Amino acid sequence: MSKIKFINAYPADKYYSYDERIALLRARKISQTEEKAKLGGADEDDYGVIVQDEFKFELEPNHENGSIYGYRAWSENYSRLLASHPLYCDPLDAFVGKGFLFMERLRPKQYKWNPDYPFDDLKKIFDKYNIISGIDNCHHFTPDLEIGFALGWGGILKLLKTERTKHDESHFEFYDAEITVVEAIIEFLYRISDELLELSKIEKNPMLSENLFEMSRVNRNVAEGKPETFREAVQWLCWFSMLSRTYNRGSAGGQLDEMLRPYYERDTEKGILKDDEAVFYLACLFLQDSRYFQLGGPDINGKDMTSRLSYLALEAADKINIACNLTIRVHDKMNEDFFIKSIEYLFKNKQGWPRYSSDNALVEGFMRCGYSKELARRRVAAGCHWMCIPGMEYTMNDTVKVNLLRTFEIAYEEMMLEDEPSTSKLWELYRKHLKIAVDATGNGIIHHLRYQTKSQPELILNLFQHGLIEKGINITDGGANYYNMCVDGSGIAMVADSFAALEQRIEQEHKITYAELDKHIKANYEDEDGEYIRQLMLHSARYGGGNTLGDSWAVRIKDLYTELVRDLCNQHKGINFIPGFFSWSNTILLGKSVGATPNGRKSGEPINHGANPCSNFRADGAVTSMCNSIASIQPSYGNTAPVQLEVDPGIAGDKEGILKMAAMVKTILSTGNTLLNINIIDTDKILEAHKDPMKYPDLVVRVTGFTAYFAMLSPNFRQLVVNRITSVNPKSIKDK
Amino acid sequence: MKHLITDIQRFSLSDGPGIRTTVFFKGCNMHCTWCHNPETLSMDRDLMFYPAKCIGCGRCFSTCENGAHKIENGIHIIDRSLCTKCGKCAEKCYAEALTMSGKEMSVEQIMFEIRQDKAYYDASGGGVTLSGGEVLCHTDFALEIAKACHAEGISVAIETNLSLPYEKIEPFIKEVDLIMADLKIFDEETHKKYTGISNKTIIENIKRISHPKMVIRTPLIEGVTAKEENLRSIAKLLSGKENLLYYQLLNFNPLGDSKYQSLNKTNDFSSLRPYTDEQMKAFGEMLSNTGIKIKVSE
Repeated sequence: MSKIKFINAYPADKYYSYDERIALLRARKISQTEEKAKLGGADEDDYGVIVQDEFKFELEPNHENGSIYGYRAWSENYSRLLASHPLYCDPLDAFVGKGFLFMERLRPKQYKWNPDYPFDDLKKIFDKYNIISGIDNCHHFTPDLEIGFALGWGGILKLLKTERTKHDESHFEFYDAEITVVEAIIEFLYRISDELLELSKIEKNPMLSENLFEMSRVNRNVAEGKPETFREAVQWLCWFSMLSRTYNRGSAGGQLDEMLRPYYERDTEKGILKDDEAVFYLACLFLQDSRYFQLGGPDINGKDMTSRLSYLALEAADKINIACNLTIRVHDKMNEDFFIKSIEYLFKNKQGWPRYSSDNALVEGFMRCGYSKELARRRVAAGCHWMCIPGMEYTMNDTVKVNLLRTFEIAYEEMMLEDEPSTSKLWELYRKHLKIAVDATGNGIIHHLRYQTKSQPELILNLFQHGLIEKGINITDGGANYYNMCVDGSGIAMVADSFAALEQRIEQEHKITYAELDKHIKANYEDEDGEYIRQLMLHSARYGGGNTLGDSWAVRIKDLYTELVRDLCNQHKGINFIPGFFSWSNTILLGKSVGATPNGRKSGEPINHGANPCSNFRADGAVTSMCNSIASIQPSYGNTAPVQLEVDPGIAGDKEGILKMAAMVKTILSTGNTLLNINIIDTDKILEAHKDPMKYPDLVVRVTGFTAYFAMLSPNFRQLVVNRITSVNPKSIKDK
Repeated sequence: MKHLITDIQRFSLSDGPGIRTTVFFKGCNMHCTWCHNPETLSMDRDLMFYPAKCIGCGRCFSTCENGAHKIENGIHIIDRSLCTKCGKCAEKCYAEALTMSGKEMSVEQIMFEIRQDKAYYDASGGGVTLSGGEVLCHTDFALEIAKACHAEGISVAIETNLSLPYEKIEPFIKEVDLIMADLKIFDEETHKKYTGISNKTIIENIKRISHPKMVIRTPLIEGVTAKEENLRSIAKLLSGKENLLYYQLLNFNPLGDSKYQSLNKTNDFSSLRPYTDEQMKAFGEMLSNTGIKIKVSE
């Protein structure tokens, strides 16, 4: 277990440069990661959370089932948590702000949703179709942190108190809970400042003592006041991360370079900030949390926003070189130099950052929902696969998954009861069942919106929404300006390949009949000749192959799914539902519920990753073919169906290679694709790390939308990552 | 018109500038002993066998009319003297342990693959590379592809050994945008020994062709081509050549070993490994005073 304070842990007479401090902080981060990995894998983001055993917290439930529900319970527990939460402090760091837990995960797993607001009928459908409904899921929308910069915690508290006086008592529960939370935060930050002051007196290294003293001063300034300097602004961001994570794993950073630019320019003009210092602060910010930030990209008028600070942010990420979630928005008037620089870092560090989004595809898509170009441009990359307008939207992004393959299985089983099975009959049944699944998902989202406040109010992120405090209501009760609900389909490649395999092998080539195949499917391809037939189905024309039968089916499924999700907008007026294709790290979970399928997949095997094709989609593993196929299934309403690309480091070993990769990234994003995640992975290294994860504790991979330490992943998930990489880089050329 | 094609590789990054699609013709007039694409040497189709993929269904035994599939010492082998390359066993092999190298394709079928990546060619300065085997053994068909590519605004490069008389290849050469030609060994006798033919025509062609732009390449094979005298002689030949973009030293490619095994052929260079990045760099530096532009592939 990691220590949480490192006072007098360094030689008393040593002076540390910024680079030395970064190297030592990085080394500690790696050893902390090893400790986390030893405790068991977790197929999710790193979050910057510290595993320790000095602090334990128990909820005080307000329900007999042991859980907490509603404004009061959440605010009081959070207040109590902060009152006892110890300080994590490394005097080498520029900031404090490490957290130890997520309060929302302390609730009993089976009682997260308030049982007074049941959804039993919907649950039956969710169970049947294996839908992840998103009911009770929290955060997954983006706060506008510039509200915090403008007001400070003290200003927010003042606004809450002022607005309370303007409302009737029906809003008091909201205001009282929010006031409790903000008062607890301010008290917490003052305590931290005091403690840092005391630590500065104990620390024997003069340089580190001075740093602790400065940290104390910075924290005192931001406890109530708004940040005034670059360092204070970054410290404020660190605390926001910790405070929102600790509450309910709250998400998303925003447009980092533009957020901090005014502070950077002001401080450098005054001569109180130099670039190496700014880089150090940003490196410490990335160390503190793997939060999503966007860099560069267009402003609302299409003008490129790349600034000196954008470069410094890349430089900082390069220096700390850990799991970073940075996104570069590619657009027509992009700063070419900055873009090429980012590609160089991508290949130099091989840590999965940055990733790239397409301004054109996202803006055009979002405008089809009826929004202006200006608003569409404000939708920044803020999560695994998602975009959000900071402080304006409620989205449930990445929390709702319709299992397209389970739905297919239900339709297939129903078809096999009929006399003359065919793909046309199967398509009719698939449409019927997919509509049931999507409609139920829509009803689930409405149920969540209606009752989420009674379960888990968003007491931190509420504070950073435009106009919400003035309304005096939780974000799910109408507190947001826009409701753009994310409804992702998962497993599209498996469904497309299954349809294609049936059509090709049974209807076109007559190599097998439906009845014969069904016998093998029911036996999980483990009966006589089962493996032989499985290979037949497995090697049919797949999605990702390039204008194949599988590709055609994928487009049909995309069109159907998009139509059904968009129809929810008619069923629930005033709420916008946006389709996308993504699985997050649920590929294993969603595959477990589905038996063997006609594409040669065996029972319980994972579904495909996001919008990517299945492994071995094409003999040459051509990424251009894969990316064209993914481009063809973009629903095009502003959400994403991301490309997950695995690339061998050898292909960009020189300037020419970098330029080829830059052209590749641009082309992928100019052909309709919305988001591009890239892993630069040496096949040999990943295979070695799969055998012995602790051999490479610092190996970072972009798992889905997020980057994570490979060693932290569960064995099953590591296998999926390895499969993905070897399907496009089957052989290493580094055999020297 | 259809022609035998070994393979089409999209997203090819090492066969010329930019992002490319490489069309591998089947059949070569040279037989370089280190070739990493041995399945492209023969002008006929070839049966390839990858035992690791075999699921042991036995269909190949029952399908083969000539008894070419046998079990010897408990191992599945193919008696190549009995195999007629009819491909019937491969058709039944759904696991793709048995595959036929070489597929009859029309220009339109090839263009169907090529045009899918046009956006990538345009953005990267890439295009199509016609490779081998030896593309100049197939000039009639290659010319049709080149014309079809140009009609759609796609640039065409060739990878060639330039070992055919200029008069025979001239109409085709005029239709391509870049020639990447290999001169492996400068000494004629040594060239004959390792490739099976003289290098006289190659050297004449290198001297004679003034258009389009050319890249001359030498694969570095330890003990054969990777000798200072050989490389300096080639560099000297290229000195002053106006349409030369650069002289490229290619690292040894070891990936052909499994293909040799799949064809039951002996790979004389199976134990050879590529040079390290540092060694490759040293080769480049060795030629730095030759007055021509040197490029080294890692």
